[in-house]
Amino acid sequence: MVNTIEAKNLCKAYNGIKAIENVSIEVGPGQVFGLLGANGAGKTTTIECIMGTKKADRGEATVLGLDPYRSRKILFERVGVQFQESSYQEKILVCELCEETASLYKNAADYGELLRRFGLSEKVKCPVSELSGGQRQRLFIVLALIPNPEVVFLDELTTGLDARARREVWKCLSELKQKGMTILLTSHFMDEVEALCDRIMILKSGESVFCGTVSEAVAASGCEKFEDAYLKLADEEVGERV
Amino acid sequence: MKAFGTHFKTELKLSLRGMDMVIFAICMPIVVMVILGIIYGSKPAFDGASYSFLEQSFGAVAAIAVCAGGVMGLPLVVSDYRNKKILKRFKVTPVSPTMILLVQVAIYTLYAVVSLLLVYITVRLFFGSSFGGSWLQFLGAYLLVMLSMFSIGMLVGGVSKDVKTAQLLCCVLYFPMLIFSGTTLPYEVMPKALQKVADFMPLTQGIKLLKVTSLGLSTDGVLLPIIVMAALAVLCIGVSIRFFRWE
Repeated sequence: MVNTIEAKNLCKAYNGIKAIENVSIEVGPGQVFGLLGANGAGKTTTIECIMGTKKADRGEATVLGLDPYRSRKILFERVGVQFQESSYQEKILVCELCEETASLYKNAADYGELLRRFGLSEKVKCPVSELSGGQRQRLFIVLALIPNPEVVFLDELTTGLDARARREVWKCLSELKQKGMTILLTSHFMDEVEALCDRIMILKSGESVFCGTVSEAVAASGCEKFEDAYLKLADEEVGERV
Repeated sequence: MKAFGTHFKTELKLSLRGMDMVIFAICMPIVVMVILGIIYGSKPAFDGASYSFLEQSFGAVAAIAVCAGGVMGLPLVVSDYRNKKILKRFKVTPVSPTMILLVQVAIYTLYAVVSLLLVYITVRLFFGSSFGGSWLQFLGAYLLVMLSMFSIGMLVGGVSKDVKTAQLLCCVLYFPMLIFSGTTLPYEVMPKALQKVADFMPLTQGIKLLKVTSLGLSTDGVLLPIIVMAALAVLCIGVSIRFFRWE
């Protein structure tokens, strides 16, 4: 079986300073893969090199067997992406942003139905800027799902959310997982990763220090809890974490 | 096409919601035209002229919207969309970010055309001026002026580092052109020395073209303005394509 997402030896440097080095990732169909690491460890760079929004200095990446550079138009009919920065126009309404996004795809999902599923029906006529943090993140999941994707990339979906909002988003992701969607996500929350991810990779200063399942990570570290295992593997003090 | 249509509709709504282009591209030219009409009435452009001062000013006032859209509206929206990573978002869709830029160009073209019609209706209805030139030539000139002004906008919006830089450049370009290229303050009433300085502004040359074609004057002196406008467009488009930053 061909891997849905495959990256081989990705390297990328900015102005001579390395961001990632020899990162290789394989994600099978229907798997949820978590990319972990401290801020600046190279998570976003890795995702961007895989999606083709950044050109890797070395190494190669394919998604659904396609080169994201050469086959952008075909590939991104089948891939949904949520960006770390919330990039939307000032004063735009929820329905307008959804409509604009839907117009980009040949087989777009019914965004009204998606908004209903994510509890945003009442916010259709609301400016995006007036949504609460949790609502906005759910909207960005909706946007990522509008192409009816087989694969979704989610970059720090729950950062900056309170506990309740995180749980809301978490529930959404579990549903997607059950539907068999392949997901590559980055996260700072270990409970989330433990519950959602089939496999994880821990990045440290742009290099992979661990790749495997959550239980393998726990076993490899000799710790009892996954959070402790993560900290040990990522080799940083608790106080350094945000 | 579906994407273009949907984006055109939504982006136009957003632009109207912002109100600034409604004020600077739609209302302002009409106000300027009315003020000039009140001041000059049906006076001839000069003693013995076959056309009125107002008829002479029509081409200039019609360029206000092009100037506002090209060196104010367009560069600000382009740099804003890049800064907000909206352009980057298009890179992970089947549609190229170029599409959203074309949508914006279409919107500012619409503003310019609507303004042109309204300014024409104003001089025609309220001041009884007539159009003595060739519409075909005039629209050709208008298109050329639009092309070169919008290309300046793309350049400024596409290469400036952030929104702040774009804003600064826009002000530096927009206000002198608005005042000294003859769009608001008529070129003909400027002192000779000021006219010489104004001649260096690309829009001044563009307005000369618009005047010649709208008044039906001899087209002897139009080669220089045409070359200036076309060269500017080619230069700005070339540099934009080469140095445009998507993020």
